[in-house]
Amino acid sequence: MRDEHFLFSGSYVPLNHGSYGAFPAAVRTYQRSLQDQTESRSDAFIRFKAPSLLLESRTAIAGLLQVPRQTVVFVPNATTGVNTVLRNLSWADGDVIVYLSTAYGACEKTILHICETTPATSVRIDVSFPIEDDDLVDLFRLRAQGIAAQQGKRVKVAMFDTVCTFPGVRLPWEALVEACKAEGVLSLIDGAHGIGHIDLFDLGQVDPDFFTSNCYKWLFTPRPCAIFYVPTRHHHLIRTTYPTSHGFKPSQERQIPTAASSDSDYLGELFKWAATVDMSPYLSTLEALRFRSNVCGGEAAIENYCFDLAQQGGKRMAQLLETEVMDNRNAKLSQCCFAMVRLPLRFASDTVSTTDRVMDRRSEATRGGIEYNQQLLPPERGPEFVKTIMDKLRDEHDTWIPMKFYSGAIWFRISAQVYLEMADLEWAAGVLSKLCKELPGSASGS
Amino acid sequence: MDEICNIKSISCGTEAAKYFALQEGYRNLNHGSFGTYPTPVRSVLRNYQDRAEATPDAFIRYEYPERLDESRAAIAKYLHAPIESCVFVPNATTGINTVLRNLVYEPDDVIIYFATIYGACEKTVSYIVETTPAEARKVPCMYPVSDDDLCDAFEDAVRDLKVNDKNPKIAIFDTIVALPGVLAPFERLTQLCKQYDVLSCIDGAHGVGHIPLNLSELGPDFFVSNCHKWLHVPRGCAVFYVPERNQHLMRSTLPTSHGFVPTDGGAINNPLPPTSKSDFVNSFEFVGTLDNSPFLCVPDALEWRSKVTWNDKQGEEAIFAYNLHLARRSGQIVSGILGTEVLENKQGTLGDCNFANVRLPLSFKDLAESDPAKAARIGQWIVKTLVADYQTFIAMVFYDESWWMRLSSSVYLTEHDFEWAGQVLKDVCDRVRKEEWKENESATKL
Repeated sequence: MRDEHFLFSGSYVPLNHGSYGAFPAAVRTYQRSLQDQTESRSDAFIRFKAPSLLLESRTAIAGLLQVPRQTVVFVPNATTGVNTVLRNLSWADGDVIVYLSTAYGACEKTILHICETTPATSVRIDVSFPIEDDDLVDLFRLRAQGIAAQQGKRVKVAMFDTVCTFPGVRLPWEALVEACKAEGVLSLIDGAHGIGHIDLFDLGQVDPDFFTSNCYKWLFTPRPCAIFYVPTRHHHLIRTTYPTSHGFKPSQERQIPTAASSDSDYLGELFKWAATVDMSPYLSTLEALRFRSNVCGGEAAIENYCFDLAQQGGKRMAQLLETEVMDNRNAKLSQCCFAMVRLPLRFASDTVSTTDRVMDRRSEATRGGIEYNQQLLPPERGPEFVKTIMDKLRDEHDTWIPMKFYSGAIWFRISAQVYLEMADLEWAAGVLSKLCKELPGSASGS
Repeated sequence: MDEICNIKSISCGTEAAKYFALQEGYRNLNHGSFGTYPTPVRSVLRNYQDRAEATPDAFIRYEYPERLDESRAAIAKYLHAPIESCVFVPNATTGINTVLRNLVYEPDDVIIYFATIYGACEKTVSYIVETTPAEARKVPCMYPVSDDDLCDAFEDAVRDLKVNDKNPKIAIFDTIVALPGVLAPFERLTQLCKQYDVLSCIDGAHGVGHIPLNLSELGPDFFVSNCHKWLHVPRGCAVFYVPERNQHLMRSTLPTSHGFVPTDGGAINNPLPPTSKSDFVNSFEFVGTLDNSPFLCVPDALEWRSKVTWNDKQGEEAIFAYNLHLARRSGQIVSGILGTEVLENKQGTLGDCNFANVRLPLSFKDLAESDPAKAARIGQWIVKTLVADYQTFIAMVFYDESWWMRLSSSVYLTEHDFEWAGQVLKDVCDRVRKEEWKENESATKL
């Protein structure tokens, strides 16, 4: 699959699909033909052909999400989607934005900028993984109610991931959306890791208030390409694209869109043109979906393969490294294409860390195994070890695996994909094992 | 043909045309809207894109920033500006939005702009006025106005505001107006802004590669220009110039991303490698996941341009001189064939650019019964017919009760192309008089 269909360099082992995604040669060929058509007759293509192709692409995505086409448009990336929502809303004194500590950095920074420049304030809920789904939802509800109970405060928006960036774990986002409804809070779902990664057929039923997801991450489209979903009841809240462009209607001109008008495409008209960009990634959605269906066997087949590889592969790597996979008791965190595995490096700690909580659940057979830790490592050196290992992965092994010093240990994230096999993950475990042994300060290092 | 360094020289006209991927038989007489780029630059672009797919993380995180800085150095040198002041954004609209949204507006602050402002920029101003305390002041101007009268009108507006205790905070004006396509006295306007202590925000969408620019001498407060229009760089790429004295005003990119530094400097997950660059430069390096390969193509585009010749001129000099000459000739030729005139003021300053605006010999009163809606329909029919029946496109604007065609010169065009265009337009006007535009949409063989 990898050599036949994808574009990676021969020696590169692509274990980090999650960051920038990847797309097959067939999609690149298709995209380039669109770009060639654009250069060959730019006005003719951009003004007269691209709009209908864009409609087709939106229809295809709407089909995948089982939502009306009028509720889905393209934006370059999820960060733009999140910015579009937060900057379109009006903020009054007392309005609070709630988000989790696992929020993507740029999205958290967006919230902070909003709080700097408007009356809104924010509350960050610190979450440490692993955590049970119910506990997370309860935690959110408790905090939201606590804020609402304060004089003059109301939680206006809560922002959650579908699958977090780091740690790469699935959130109970559906239950969180429900909790938001119960608390009267607008739900903004940063589904950067969403479409093509987890099953979103129920999006319409779950009915978040705003949802955005990167197609270039898990749907095999080129960069940049994301979808932005807004149910019709909120269209009046989205006044402008970012940047503002031709689709904007000044207040004296606009007609408030109503759900009753079924042939109105308010969102579509607004987002049809958001300044001059290369739209070929949006238009390549069709070819990406064709590839996933014809070559990979369809969305369900892809999801099954990737989940399976992530789960079995994660377990196998943990076995080889004699550590463990990050998961909660109900094994919900791992219901995604990521595997989160701990490196066999034991750090000194006074408090009960994630590692200890996770290790409590390890089987006796592996407890106390070959952790390269006759002495405990100083936690202050954690980030330095992360950098050393990641640099070596890149420079000496032609791969890239994101990892972080998190809750007292180093955890790494593997992205499962159709172009990977168990052997690739086993190889990675071998490399990581070797790199850990080579670290200064570990058992065999100086 | 592909390696730019192997090219000896390229003479303007039919030889240069061979370097472009224009469709056989299609005449692009509207370079001004979307630009296009030579095939050797396309190879460079695609090479960067291939490298991003071959080893995504290695390229995007480590190689891209270095190439980006090389490109920034090239554009800074070209514009006679310090590299610290130059970053890239996808297009001019994004640059204008970035400036206007970052400024903090108090009551009585006024944004001044001309009636000829680009539509999307006017909409941005509308949105700002709707959502902040800022007001707007539109300076009327009707071409063919003289530079003196235009500058006087601007100065009058500024003084009038001050006399009425308003604060003219920022003025937006073009280097070259889009429609009609005319050169504006932007140097004088910039000086007037300095004189009256108004921030100058120059929308130089048509700027770099079109007219010679020296930003150090010009000294604007903010300047943005599309490289993908006239610099032979792929879409979308614009240079955004902010002198260091103003960088603190640009708190956030659009959207907000990893480079944002919160006022309390809190530690937030930033997946990108650490940097020693200024906050301003660092912010614009990564603004949500995009395909920024066009940004990297500036050095190669400039190298290609350096090979272009005309008469005894070479490089930029040749390109500027050829385009200017051809634009003026195009206006003479087409207006001669149509028996009309080129839009020009008494001093002859409007046509000092790559555009010629020629009036069509059609009567607003007789053909459209003085109804602007009908005039718009006629205009739409004209441009669609040009594409469908004549394999060309010319930008059109209905202005001052006439239909004007904006001809764009380019290095791949010759006078023959405009002789042809004149005959085509004559034919199209005949068909308008025969009321063909009233029939159903012409079959579009797009």
